[in-house]
Amino acid sequence: MTPIHDKAVLSARDLAKQVVFNGAPLDILHAASLSVQPGESVAIVGASGSGKSTLLSLLAGLDQPSQGEVSLFGQSLSGLSEDGRALLRRDKVGFVFQNFQLMPQLTALENVMLPLELAGRKDARDTASQMLGHVGLAHRLRHYPKHLSGGEQQRVALARAFAIHPGILFADEPTGNLDAATGRQIIDLLFQLNSEQHTSLVLVTHDNELASRCDAIYRLVDGRLNGARA
Amino acid sequence: MSWWSRLLLAARFVRREIVSGELSILALALLVAVTALTSVSFFSDRVARALTTQATQLLAADLVLNGNQPAPVAIRQEAQRRGLQVTDNISFPSMVFAQGQATLATYKAVSNSYPLRGEVTVRRVDGQLQTGRLHPAAGMVWADARLLRKLGVKLGEHINVGNISLQLDGEILREPDGAMDLYNFVPRLMFNSADLAATGLIQEGSRARWRLMLAGDDRQISDLRQWLAARLPPGSRLENVEEARPEIRTALERARRFLGLTAMLTVALSAAAVALAVRRYLARHWQSVAVLRCMGLTSSEVLGLFVCLFLLLGLLSGVLGALAGFAVQLGLMQLSSRFVGEVLPNPGWQSWLLGPAASLLLLAGLALPPLLAIRQVPPLAVLRNDVPLLRSSLVAPLLAVLVLLLLAAWQMDDLALAAWLLGGMLAFFAGVGLLAWGMLSLLRRLPAGRQVGWRYGVANLARRPWLAIVQIVALAVGIMALLTLTVVRDDLITAWQQSVPTDAPNKFVINIQQGQRAGLQQQFAAAGLPPPELSPMIRGRLLAINEKPVRPSALQDEQARRLAEREFNLSWRDALPEGNHLVAGQWWQAKAKPQFSVEQGLARTLGIRLGDTLAFDIGGSTYRAKVTSLRSVAWDSFRVNFFVLAPPSLLQQQPASWISSFHLDAAQEDFANRLVAAFPNITIIDVSAILAEVRAMVDKLTRAIEAMFVLALAAGVLVLWAALAATRDERLFDIALMRALGASDRQVRAVILTELAWLGAFTGLLAALGAMGVGGIAASKLFNLPWNINASLLPLGMGCGMLVVMLAGWPLVGRVTRTSPLAVLRSV
Repeated sequence: MTPIHDKAVLSARDLAKQVVFNGAPLDILHAASLSVQPGESVAIVGASGSGKSTLLSLLAGLDQPSQGEVSLFGQSLSGLSEDGRALLRRDKVGFVFQNFQLMPQLTALENVMLPLELAGRKDARDTASQMLGHVGLAHRLRHYPKHLSGGEQQRVALARAFAIHPGILFADEPTGNLDAATGRQIIDLLFQLNSEQHTSLVLVTHDNELASRCDAIYRLVDGRLNGARA
Repeated sequence: MSWWSRLLLAARFVRREIVSGELSILALALLVAVTALTSVSFFSDRVARALTTQATQLLAADLVLNGNQPAPVAIRQEAQRRGLQVTDNISFPSMVFAQGQATLATYKAVSNSYPLRGEVTVRRVDGQLQTGRLHPAAGMVWADARLLRKLGVKLGEHINVGNISLQLDGEILREPDGAMDLYNFVPRLMFNSADLAATGLIQEGSRARWRLMLAGDDRQISDLRQWLAARLPPGSRLENVEEARPEIRTALERARRFLGLTAMLTVALSAAAVALAVRRYLARHWQSVAVLRCMGLTSSEVLGLFVCLFLLLGLLSGVLGALAGFAVQLGLMQLSSRFVGEVLPNPGWQSWLLGPAASLLLLAGLALPPLLAIRQVPPLAVLRNDVPLLRSSLVAPLLAVLVLLLLAAWQMDDLALAAWLLGGMLAFFAGVGLLAWGMLSLLRRLPAGRQVGWRYGVANLARRPWLAIVQIVALAVGIMALLTLTVVRDDLITAWQQSVPTDAPNKFVINIQQGQRAGLQQQFAAAGLPPPELSPMIRGRLLAINEKPVRPSALQDEQARRLAEREFNLSWRDALPEGNHLVAGQWWQAKAKPQFSVEQGLARTLGIRLGDTLAFDIGGSTYRAKVTSLRSVAWDSFRVNFFVLAPPSLLQQQPASWISSFHLDAAQEDFANRLVAAFPNITIIDVSAILAEVRAMVDKLTRAIEAMFVLALAAGVLVLWAALAATRDERLFDIALMRALGASDRQVRAVILTELAWLGAFTGLLAALGAMGVGGIAASKLFNLPWNINASLLPLGMGCGMLVVMLAGWPLVGRVTRTSPLAVLRSV
């Protein structure tokens, strides 16, 4: 059992998720507990179907657990509505997805500007183009996602996630759709931004190399979480 | 977020989405709908205003107070005090003598400011034609051709008018208030009112009509009309502009209906395109919404953002559409200006509001219901790739289209048209949906072929019946619109033009006596002309409806009062006259017992219904019979038409004069003179001028309508586009999957083409059936035109459907074979 630390950015205790499948209850996740300190990077590894993505969605407040409790930035998520959880995420949580999830109708620049504009930032354009420069895409500002390679799209996603200087960033298989070389570049960039901004990182992956770079590794086997700090 | 920053953000969203092309179909569909609606609204509005203007020219004034005594001085003074132009004329029947001949004529004494509106055309002694605000000088008299012929006098000679002799110095060819009433055959004569007292023709109790003619601007006239309403002297009435020139009205009315139909069809089509585009837009933005939710936007904030976005889009397309509509309407005006007057009144402000209102209404009905569903998009959807089918209730979209069509109907003052269109559309949607479902289930039972392409192509259609049905319905609507707007429209317009054919009768012969019929037929035969159809004409006065006496003075409606006052022309015959259509009841068999058939307009005005018993006073005896049918009459056909018809059994015994109409080329003009020489008592009336005007008007209005059809066509193409785009993504995915599984390019192509060919053929067939229905209904119910089914529509529709669908699908084939399956799978 991992003790829950007072200053933790994210902590979860005894999380469980049960779904009804073909009329019978099915446990996807059993009594999972973990905590993430400011600036800490945590990897959750496991085989396909081990419940990694379910755990991530519970930790990020995208879904609700059947049992247990999650607290984000010191506030408990239980009892909060979907909208309440959204408000808690606002300006503080970043996401990176396996399939990038850029808005197809927005250019690279506009994609990065979006969270800044939603936060009402006046300097959205400048900040966003700086961020894109930072990830090496200064020459691609006006390109639409469909005109960018997979690696480039994931860089835009990273720029978008880090543009608001989030307290915590959730990444779901960030290299899953990329070849090995491109994947490595993305990982380097991810950890670079993580250390620059002192952002906590929660990574879901089945890539051991990627996991080994994190401060802590949790393994998910058949819905049970084992692991410890590196 | 504050409302203001939300709006700003939405504005930025709109700009970005438009730039990226995501909103193209939606914005274009809205634009086309609004343009069509506003242009017709502007056009109808201006035509209606211009018609009133034109009608006032037919009165020779803006307002006429018609009385059996001179208008009270108080009224005249009030009109002058209000700054209106005022003049009088007096008309009365009296005998006129010259060269020892005498005839009854209608006299009209006019003052020096006659006419206030419109123009008079006269032929002067030197043979020159003059047109303008003309009137005879004191001591002079003008007469029409009928009078000159009857009396055998020439211009320059003198005729006796009452106690004095006046010099004939003009032949009246046209006078604005001459009331082009084909059944008002009394010769006419006009002189200056300065000579009136000297003629001694107006005495106490003379049967004269005094007309106080007034002209001024719109407001002055309507103010005075109100003031007059309560002060109308007994025995007088305000003359109604509605009665002016029925044949021109018919043509303009028909043009307006054509335009209205086109506009409503455009709106309906655009609505379909909007609905499809909204669906696709939201399906494509499903994941984006989930991302926004991950970024911390609450569901109501997301909804607010998209509502703002659609609101801005609606306003933008509404304003731009209204501007485009105004421009289109200017073009329509250009094409038809000669007939709606040169001085065009400006359109009312309501038409400007219509644009944004229509656009927002379309979005509210078609976009809001599916939009509300995005509140339910869970942030978790980012981790899943499923896009749920957007199913929403049909109530809101139907309501929106209904409201929109009602709005259009109200603008164009044509509820019947909207009702037919809406009913037809619903029936079409339901029918096509059902047929498509039936055909798909049939297709699934077909024995599977050996060819991979064939088997999977068919399977693709059958696997997603719901999607296929939506697609078939949308495509069928689009293709039906194209067929309706090209083939059917051509047929309709041809039918219209043929309703005023080049050989339409241009001469009426009246007053033919019983014994002269054979002789007249011989004259025609000798001149090599087709035998004229002679109809008996009997004058009668309507005494009672269902034994309730008809008292003109008791009737509220002014037009009804006038109809009841005058004598009707009745006729008897066995067969339904050509160009007449039964709208209610049954036509009688040969040797039928006494009954009446009444023209529907007259029936409506006088409140006559099927089964009512009418009593007519004919030659002093009363004739009673039931109304067994109502007819519609093509008044612009220039055939001899009657308000009231009876079988021979009822009226055959009555003494009748006979009437006929025939066509005479300009070269054969001499025949008319020979006819009059042979039968001096008959009168020939020349309507070629009016006929030419109506025909030219039909031609010009046709062009205006064709311009309007281009818009509707654009809407049809948009629907096609939207329908294909809506399913493109899904299709792409399927195909990529097939390729990933190892299908060859050739096999993939065969699958796509088989699916598209089936889809196209189905759709084309349904569309052709729909177009036939639309044409038939439009012809018979809306335009009263004869209609023949164009059988070539069926193969044409199928061919057109296959061609359109396969052409539209072809780029897809190219794209699939060019790109790697992975890229396609990932991009979807």
